[in-house]
Amino acid sequence: MSTLYERLGGEKAVDAAVDIFYRRVLADGRIARFFDTVDMERQAAKQKAFLTMVFGGPANYTGKDMREGHKHLVEKGLNDSHVDAVLENLATTLRQLNVGEAEVKEVVTLANSVRDDVLNR
Amino acid sequence: MSLLSYGDRPVEIAEGETVLSALLRAGIKAPHGCRAGVCQGCVQRALQGEPPAQAQEGLSDAQKAQGFFLACICAPKSPLILAPIESSSPRLDAIVRSMDLLAPDIMRLRIEPEAAFPYRAGQFLELVASEDLKRCYSLASHPEEDPFLEMHIRLHPDGRMSRHLSQNLSPGDRIEIAGPEGNCFYEGVEPDQPLVLIGAGTGLAPLWGVLRDALRRGHRGPIRLYHGARDRESAYHAEEMEVLARARENFAYRPCVRDTAAAHGGDVAATALADEQASLAHAAFFLCGGEKLVARLKRELFLGGAKLKHIRADVFTQAV
Ligand code: FES
Repeated sequence: MSTLYERLGGEKAVDAAVDIFYRRVLADGRIARFFDTVDMERQAAKQKAFLTMVFGGPANYTGKDMREGHKHLVEKGLNDSHVDAVLENLATTLRQLNVGEAEVKEVVTLANSVRDDVLNR
Repeated sequence: MSLLSYGDRPVEIAEGETVLSALLRAGIKAPHGCRAGVCQGCVQRALQGEPPAQAQEGLSDAQKAQGFFLACICAPKSPLILAPIESSSPRLDAIVRSMDLLAPDIMRLRIEPEAAFPYRAGQFLELVASEDLKRCYSLASHPEEDPFLEMHIRLHPDGRMSRHLSQNLSPGDRIEIAGPEGNCFYEGVEPDQPLVLIGAGTGLAPLWGVLRDALRRGHRGPIRLYHGARDRESAYHAEEMEVLARARENFAYRPCVRDTAAAHGGDVAATALADEQASLAHAAFFLCGGEKLVARLKRELFLGGAKLKHIRADVFTQAV
């Protein structure tokens, strides 16, 4: 049985998704401020790491990494509504790439599983 | 020779071990994140030796050309010497060849380094007047076409470097330089791709270098250069640009001078964004200028559909 990451198309699929996903969140007034930075390449690399993780690909993040990586955003007001918006953009990105509904669900579930760590609770 | 060195310090590395883990084991503070080759949080640069290609995947072509690689997925097969992070590049002496004005407040400085100074057109170097007076300037010269290094320097009445250059320096004098640095050069561009160069003020300097490099390397696609300036006088090099535009069928020069009567008030960002709508998805962009201009262009171009890896930028920060 192949992994979710393999079924989605591995790194190629992540590469295809990252520009679309980052463009979507930047254009989304609800969350753009958390992603808006001068160093867009670094931000895009972070998005790529995030997508690789939620696609079930190789990434060795721990709950602790997630907490530390988002602490400064929680201080700026990051909350559940923003996580919801990110998940929505994630699902739309995948549908735009013709990913099947079953896989979209799996990816969103994986992404949702780090919600508490991201929000530092 | 050991398989891995960090500057001149040899670092022990086991067979199949990654550079990241070896550095950390040696007590070197190497930044990192995912440890899986994805987040690019662990980039290191090889000064000597070739990192395996697979450790460079996902990096930009300009980064690859300069030896950058991801330490967390790099198990070296041949010796690598890394550039220690935070260490400054080696210094070099150069002789001032000429200093003249391109516009009332823009000085062209040409210097000749006393030793080889390999660089790519469009990169920048650091001028070192003293330990507490250093500034970075983009290079307008071309390594194969010009025997000198050329910089275009905006003269600020209160700028310490400006004052130092115009008051204390004359041809024949010596000045220290360090570098080169920067990712804003012609690499990873397809020869048929539209090439769009956008700059303001002395941001023209690196673009002039990139433009000549692109032509030398046989770029076939259309090239459009937008230069933003406060007034006609500051739109320096206009004549050279126009001559080149007449001689080269695929090159167009678009000076944008602030003027309420002009389209978009002569604003270079607005003009370029409007005119390039149709080419966003497939053009390669080079942006050079102040932080505000570059940040705005980068964001708008990307939101409009440009690929992030096709946007190269060089931000000029102003220090006084
Ligand atoms: S630590 Fe993330 S790419 Fe190396």
